[in-house]
Amino acid sequence: MDDSDSPTYASLAPANPTMVNDLASVDLPSLSNIPDVNSNGHLPSAVQSPLSGQDVSSPQTPASLDMKSDGYSDMDKSTMIAVIQFLKRGNLKSTEEILRKECGFFEPVDVTDTSGALGEEGEVLAAYKSDGNPAEYQDAFKALSAFVEKSLDAYKYEVAAVLYPVLIHMYLELIYNGHRGEAVELLQNCSSSIEAHHADDLRSISLVTSRAQMAGQPLLNTLLSAQYTCRMSRDSLAHLKRFLADRSAGPVPRIIQDRLNIDLVDGQPRTKAQVLAVQGAITGEAPRSANKTKIFYGLLKEPELQTVINEEEEAEDDLDKPKKKKSKKDALQKNKKNDPNAPPANRIPLPELRDQDKQERARIYRDSMKRVTLSRDALPSICFYSFVNASNTVCSVDISDDSSILAFGSAESILSVHSITPAKLKAMKPAEQLSDIDKDSEDVLVRMLDDRSGETQRNLMGHSGPVTAVSVSPDKALLASSGQDGTVRIWSLQTWTCVVVLRGHIYPVWSVRFSPHGYYLVTGGHDRTARLWTTDQHLPLRIFAGHYSDVDVVEFHPNSNYVASGSSDRSVRLWDCSNGACVRIFTGHKGTVSAVNFSPCGRYLASGSCDARILVWDLGGHGNALAALSSHSDTIHTLAFSREGTILASGSMDCTVKIWDFAKVTEEGRDEDVNATTSPLEDKSLLLSTFPTKQTPVLSLHFTRRNVLLASGPFNG
Amino acid sequence: MLDEVAVPSAVSAESIKIMGESIGISPLGDDVARELAEDITYRLKNIVQDGKKFTHHGKRKRFTCEDFDWALKSKNIEPIYGVVSSEFIPWRLTSGGGRDLHFLEDRELEVSDIVTQQLPKLPPAAAVKCHWLAIEGVQPAIPENPAPMSKNLQKQEAVDPASKLAAAQADTRNTRNIHGRGLKSVETVRVKQLATHELSAEQQLYYKEITEACVGSDEPKRGEALHSLAFDPGLHQMVARLCTFIAEGVRVNVVQRNLALLIYLMRMTKALLDNNTLYLEKYLHELTPSVLTCIVSRQLCLKPDMDNHWALRDFAARLMSQICRHYNTTTNGLQTRISRVFCKCLNVDKTPLATVYGAVAGLCELGPEVIKALVVPKLRVLSNKIEQCIESPSAYEKNAAVHIKGMLVKSVPPVLKMNRNPPDLLTDYKNDFGFLGPLLQASVIKLRQTPGVGGVVVSAPALAPTLRPLSTPTPTRILHQSVGGVGGRALVVGSGGQVTTTGGVGVAPSPGQKLIIMTSRTPGVQQGLDSPQLVSAQLPLGEGSGATILSPTSTAAGAALPPGAKYVLVKTEPTDDEYGM
Repeated sequence: MDDSDSPTYASLAPANPTMVNDLASVDLPSLSNIPDVNSNGHLPSAVQSPLSGQDVSSPQTPASLDMKSDGYSDMDKSTMIAVIQFLKRGNLKSTEEILRKECGFFEPVDVTDTSGALGEEGEVLAAYKSDGNPAEYQDAFKALSAFVEKSLDAYKYEVAAVLYPVLIHMYLELIYNGHRGEAVELLQNCSSSIEAHHADDLRSISLVTSRAQMAGQPLLNTLLSAQYTCRMSRDSLAHLKRFLADRSAGPVPRIIQDRLNIDLVDGQPRTKAQVLAVQGAITGEAPRSANKTKIFYGLLKEPELQTVINEEEEAEDDLDKPKKKKSKKDALQKNKKNDPNAPPANRIPLPELRDQDKQERARIYRDSMKRVTLSRDALPSICFYSFVNASNTVCSVDISDDSSILAFGSAESILSVHSITPAKLKAMKPAEQLSDIDKDSEDVLVRMLDDRSGETQRNLMGHSGPVTAVSVSPDKALLASSGQDGTVRIWSLQTWTCVVVLRGHIYPVWSVRFSPHGYYLVTGGHDRTARLWTTDQHLPLRIFAGHYSDVDVVEFHPNSNYVASGSSDRSVRLWDCSNGACVRIFTGHKGTVSAVNFSPCGRYLASGSCDARILVWDLGGHGNALAALSSHSDTIHTLAFSREGTILASGSMDCTVKIWDFAKVTEEGRDEDVNATTSPLEDKSLLLSTFPTKQTPVLSLHFTRRNVLLASGPFNG
Repeated sequence: MLDEVAVPSAVSAESIKIMGESIGISPLGDDVARELAEDITYRLKNIVQDGKKFTHHGKRKRFTCEDFDWALKSKNIEPIYGVVSSEFIPWRLTSGGGRDLHFLEDRELEVSDIVTQQLPKLPPAAAVKCHWLAIEGVQPAIPENPAPMSKNLQKQEAVDPASKLAAAQADTRNTRNIHGRGLKSVETVRVKQLATHELSAEQQLYYKEITEACVGSDEPKRGEALHSLAFDPGLHQMVARLCTFIAEGVRVNVVQRNLALLIYLMRMTKALLDNNTLYLEKYLHELTPSVLTCIVSRQLCLKPDMDNHWALRDFAARLMSQICRHYNTTTNGLQTRISRVFCKCLNVDKTPLATVYGAVAGLCELGPEVIKALVVPKLRVLSNKIEQCIESPSAYEKNAAVHIKGMLVKSVPPVLKMNRNPPDLLTDYKNDFGFLGPLLQASVIKLRQTPGVGGVVVSAPALAPTLRPLSTPTPTRILHQSVGGVGGRALVVGSGGQVTTTGGVGVAPSPGQKLIIMTSRTPGVQQGLDSPQLVSAQLPLGEGSGATILSPTSTAAGAALPPGAKYVLVKTEPTDDEYGM
């Protein structure tokens, strides 16, 4: 790349060391150094103040929490063990419990055997050690759910959110202490009171039936390392506390105290719909503190193109009506205006525009003049590219921005690139011929390609596992692909060879996307991280760690300053490329997030998931869904916005393409200031049309620059 | 024990013991087995859960062995090599000693056989085809798109024509609500509901072109028109018109005795019947009489002694049986009514010979049961008539008698073979069937000597009832295999052969042993196999599931596939060369 020597990149070059360090902790089931987005001080300040007056039995100070993470010196630890052993021998359980809580010391202490030969996992799990009477758990949970049931409707739904985490932690506590029968019975009898969307997690938790199995269960590690967040209004919390004060001895108050992060909100308690709308992620809902950062969602200033366009216009016949020209100039003026929400142009370094890029911009601009305006009444035409003889082998599809190249990756590790325009896929001339070409000539890019090598289809082989994602760079020179073999490969579409293998993800890589400005690419994988790479370095610039499960899908913001990632932990996160911070956590999906996309204006983010719903988020707001679009019946694999952002198209495993009225979503969303108490818009009339295919799941959707929708998928005959 | 009730999908302790035996660890203690079973269940479920991620990212709905392997790999466990299952997993069940055992048959293969075998054909390379899914928001009715109105919907409409009206009303009501007015003006009285039936200008043009081409003189064009009728989706709106066209056409041309036109009209009918996207029950009142006319009409052409109207009767008779197969239900009693019409025509003294021939042909096409019940008892009378006519001076009568004789000798012997016990004595046959006796006896004996085609016919219905209840819903279907076919080895019911399990545990098949051979197939695979046995065996169960045969693959992939596809559609019908089918 000719811009690789630009000095500005130096500032970005070293990967953020703290983030790298945190990565190590993601895979380890240890409690202490998980990159917890909830600041530790937050929980006590929320829980502590009203509680301390009434309830003496479960005191906890912010200081004690801090101590816990600091750890004890060996000396302190052995003293503590000795004291606890003494208390145990004297059967002073409650004193021991209070002592443990006060000191944040939860390691199990065996009276008979003091060696304490517990592994690392054992230490984490040891928090489950309890001497509670196993029989009382079920009664305690039933009392809690009866209390929730009897609560006033105003509080009921907010309070009900604690049922699920309490139940699973009760279950795990019972299992850990060897009361298997009671645990299974508890789950059998009580899981009916849990919201249906937790069923999957409950099922995987219920597989664990012995202490030995508790180690190494990924979901369990998440539950141990992250506190389940429940957002509650002050009134609901007070209501819950009154209940807890009555039964201070049982397991319920202890679990709520230890395992839950109650996010206190001023204002009215929320309704059922509002509570349900944000639930679903593995760790409950996003704490509000995580969604406070301002996001520069505006688009970057378009570079000066006047000269290029004028030149080309002059080159064309002067048949254009003067009126049309005028409008073009107006549009150009508009582009130059600064968006107040846009990030500074130098917030992250972007590659300088080359001549060919400028020409491409001009082409985009001219196409945009000719494009069809889509709306409720003018639906798009859809051209469907189906892959035949490839049923169940096509894993990923991408179409280049100018809609000339279609690339798909298959389960047989092959990448196949097709030209979908009459233009052939040409290869570069051999080196000796290249040296003959005059480098200064205007058409050097054309001349270095060998005309005789034109083909309509080329295969790229190199991966050693299914190709999970492909992405064509905006300038069509490079192609990035990610594979289940854990590598990301960048291919040259001029020499048709693999130019670099990016190794960094340890496990399968699920997704890769090029930035709309080129140069950057982002990947996400099974190792629960998303990573930011550039085309000129083999190490990642940023590692975005924080998801609690696989990062299944990633996407760049149109201004390249942000990256959105969707994960199996059923949340969508927005990351800032400039500092690697997580600036938004969107919760509300009830299944693995399988598609994310930004609106062309940059303000909205749409995400689709395995629960067959699409949620629309406003980046100007604070993490609340703007709309929930449900009509699909299976996993949504792709989302696409029309070029002017009025239409949203979604493609799914249920073999349909659906067209949604996005103009209406934004219109109604803008009317009221979206805050924490509004529930997402759900309206049947938002669905404009459904186009079923013949047993062809829709894997990719792409609007051409003139707003023709290109869809593709493998025909499963 | 409680645990096993709670988690039904668990590996049982018995299975663990059997697995232990198979690798030579025996006996395994109960406690050990239970402990192991529990742990294995947990680990398996965990791996499967992880593997689901790979299914998700492979954009598939079905979990495969590869997904399991990848899940193992991601846990840093060496995957199990060599267990690559296609979609065909033939589970077998055996019971004995009071317990059931499901197992996979693992046949031993001879390496030298595999080495000397011809290399299998490479699968065709993946290709990209494009079509318009929608044009400015409207989905064009082309073969690449699903039919605008599914067959089920058409079926529903055939049963309850008012459902369309209800839907239309709901539609208007909705739009009213959206506009927020017109809520008060609910009409309460409606004398008669009329469903409007409109054809667009394009459809009218299409109708005109198609009908002209179908009865015109240009044979290639007719071929195209018939192909369009047989394969295009979205014809359901025009079917009413086309059926009327056929009915009217038959009515006029029978009177004018225009054989050629009648043939063209029957070919049109066949094309409509072959169209997978159409449900024709609503129009049978027009089609059935027309087809029946072409079978039993006294005279179908100007020169009955010269023209080959017999072929038209044969063709129409096959159409009739196709109609019966597709649309016969207990409520409409179609087959009964049609057989009754044919039986009436068998009254040899009153009806002309051509009609008798038609009736015989029609009955014979309806299958062995019908032949047994309705044709065999009449054989004696028929053969007397044939004996009379064959010696008659009239060339027409003689010709007719020869045709009837040919038809009877062709279709009756397989049925006789089934229903009569050997020895086949000439005298018995003569007594029972008169003039035709010797001929029938000869061909029955011939049939008995060559166990082949006839065997399939016999065994399929005999096996079907026992296997059918065991079938699992699509895409897993039971394949019944014929005796002595390619898969004959798999079917060893009570034959005493030793069946070996994967683990090497020998299980002697008990008399009541049930064998399930399951397969799930995709049309592509089936076409690729080009196995007539497979196709014909599937058909009794796969009715209506053939809707997917016409596919972008078959049409787009060009010349390679249509023959296969057509074979499936044509089913048991032999292709009719004479009519260019």
